[in-house]
Amino acid sequence: MFGKLLIANRGEIAVRINRAAHELGIETVAIYSEADRGSLHVRNADRSFCVGPGPVARSYLNIPNIISAALISGADAIHPGYGFLAENARFAEICADHGLTFVGPAPATIASMGDKATAKAIMAQAGVPTTPGTDILGNVGEALAAAAALGYPVMLKATAGGGGKGMRGVRNPDELEHAFATAQAEAEANFKDGRLYMEKLIERPRHVEVQIVGDGFGNVVHVGERDCSVQKPSHQKLIEEAPAPRLGAAVRARLHAVALEAARAVRYSSAGTLEFLVSNDEVYFMEMNTRIQVEHPVTEMLYGVDLVKEQIRVAAGERLSFEQSALVPRGHAIECRINAEEASNNFAPAAGTLTDVALPGGCGVRVDSHVFTGLDVPPFYDSLLAKVVTHGASRDEAIDRMIAALGDTRIAGIKTTIAICRDVMRDETFRAGGFGIDFLPNFAAASAVAR
Amino acid sequence: MRFRIDEERLTIDIRRAERRAPFAAPAVEGPFATDAPLPSNGVAVVDESPRTVVKAEFVGIVRFSRPTVVRGTSLPEDRELAYVESLGIRNPVRSGGPGRVAAVYVGDGEAVGYGQPLFAIEA
Repeated sequence: MFGKLLIANRGEIAVRINRAAHELGIETVAIYSEADRGSLHVRNADRSFCVGPGPVARSYLNIPNIISAALISGADAIHPGYGFLAENARFAEICADHGLTFVGPAPATIASMGDKATAKAIMAQAGVPTTPGTDILGNVGEALAAAAALGYPVMLKATAGGGGKGMRGVRNPDELEHAFATAQAEAEANFKDGRLYMEKLIERPRHVEVQIVGDGFGNVVHVGERDCSVQKPSHQKLIEEAPAPRLGAAVRARLHAVALEAARAVRYSSAGTLEFLVSNDEVYFMEMNTRIQVEHPVTEMLYGVDLVKEQIRVAAGERLSFEQSALVPRGHAIECRINAEEASNNFAPAAGTLTDVALPGGCGVRVDSHVFTGLDVPPFYDSLLAKVVTHGASRDEAIDRMIAALGDTRIAGIKTTIAICRDVMRDETFRAGGFGIDFLPNFAAASAVAR
Repeated sequence: MRFRIDEERLTIDIRRAERRAPFAAPAVEGPFATDAPLPSNGVAVVDESPRTVVKAEFVGIVRFSRPTVVRGTSLPEDRELAYVESLGIRNPVRSGGPGRVAAVYVGDGEAVGYGQPLFAIEA
């Protein structure tokens, strides 16, 4: 096992990883930007280094300073968390070059799964069902021809994309030219790679993803699915749950089997997630994320396992500590993301000082957060403040527990998503379950009208 | 006055600097310790007092250059005071001009983070 782990992240996930490392008896090294000096992840770590000023390009993406901090502190490994350098194959290679273990899969796996078009081709070859679509499109002319062949509506996607950026739904040829240009520009700005491909738009799909964990000995298990259909108009997730409600047993079994097959096909070693669209009992592979995901706690609550600890153990060369047969889901778990965002203003991010913070607790309630009263929320980073996760014997119990927990949650001084999450919990469509990813945009629009 | 700036964003930055100063480094003497904003360019902060705080721009090990300066050392001209060794590269730390070493905040061979004060130079 590692003696010392550098955590190359901030916020709640850095706090989360720090806990897992301490449980395993590993010393921790935090990194932080000048805007994060007083952060909880810095306080909780055994040692810390400032690696740059607030903007991410000069701090949390500052590879030389991060590697240098790991080397001079005597760390054996680097955990990248999610976002930032988590799916940067080059960073994983640089870690290896300096004798540091990157807590994640092999660089080649990150690279092939990070390129969406390549990932899709690999999965299709492994027999995983994928959305009908194209290779990289050279220009608008090719896009028009491809759309005609696939049939509208279609979706333009950035091959380097993620987080909903560089994606555009297109309903007819008239919309295509503009959508192509804007998606390309957005992809270029966000990923320095403007290449686009096209997929048939699956109408009103559900977003269901499967958690997998593999080790370096060829063992792979799935840890069930999560339904992440409650997404903002930007396709970013707001609420996740497990198991996926009202999902047919055959579809669920198929998803799990396909995910295992896919993970084996790339000899996956670490924690990872395969994202699928599910529509009318059909399953389409979307992408594979080679990192620990924001919503991993719902799976942990449902199965009673610690995915981050397992990820660290596997990275240290250990075998998986559980077999498939030992993984049994119990009850139902839901996560609400409390973001510093103005829900009524298209979830525009907010920054400011938290003047009063009270987080919930109690039976079946888990909170992963880095916030406290007096914290400045800087404008540079992701808006996630806290993840409130509830677990219940049934979905209804988990929902009622969430309503109570969110009622106890107070974060003053900044706009948050607490109220909209609670409203969603009380919504009939949500309570019924099994809705598509158009749920939240419709819900938000209806709420706006009601106001 | 230097900090009387109307833009709200800048005002917030200055407040932050005040609160965060204790985390920034070993206690820094002089009025600039709480007044100076944290540098956004990371090199040095000049206050109305004639002192300049020379800060680390890289995460690494600080190595003093010879002849080693101590508090009170007079510097007839700009010179290298130390370098920060980071990933095998020596990143020089210079006084930025003539003056007198008013403070030495780190020891030779110490690990330093970005923005950490290394020396104070008095004109």
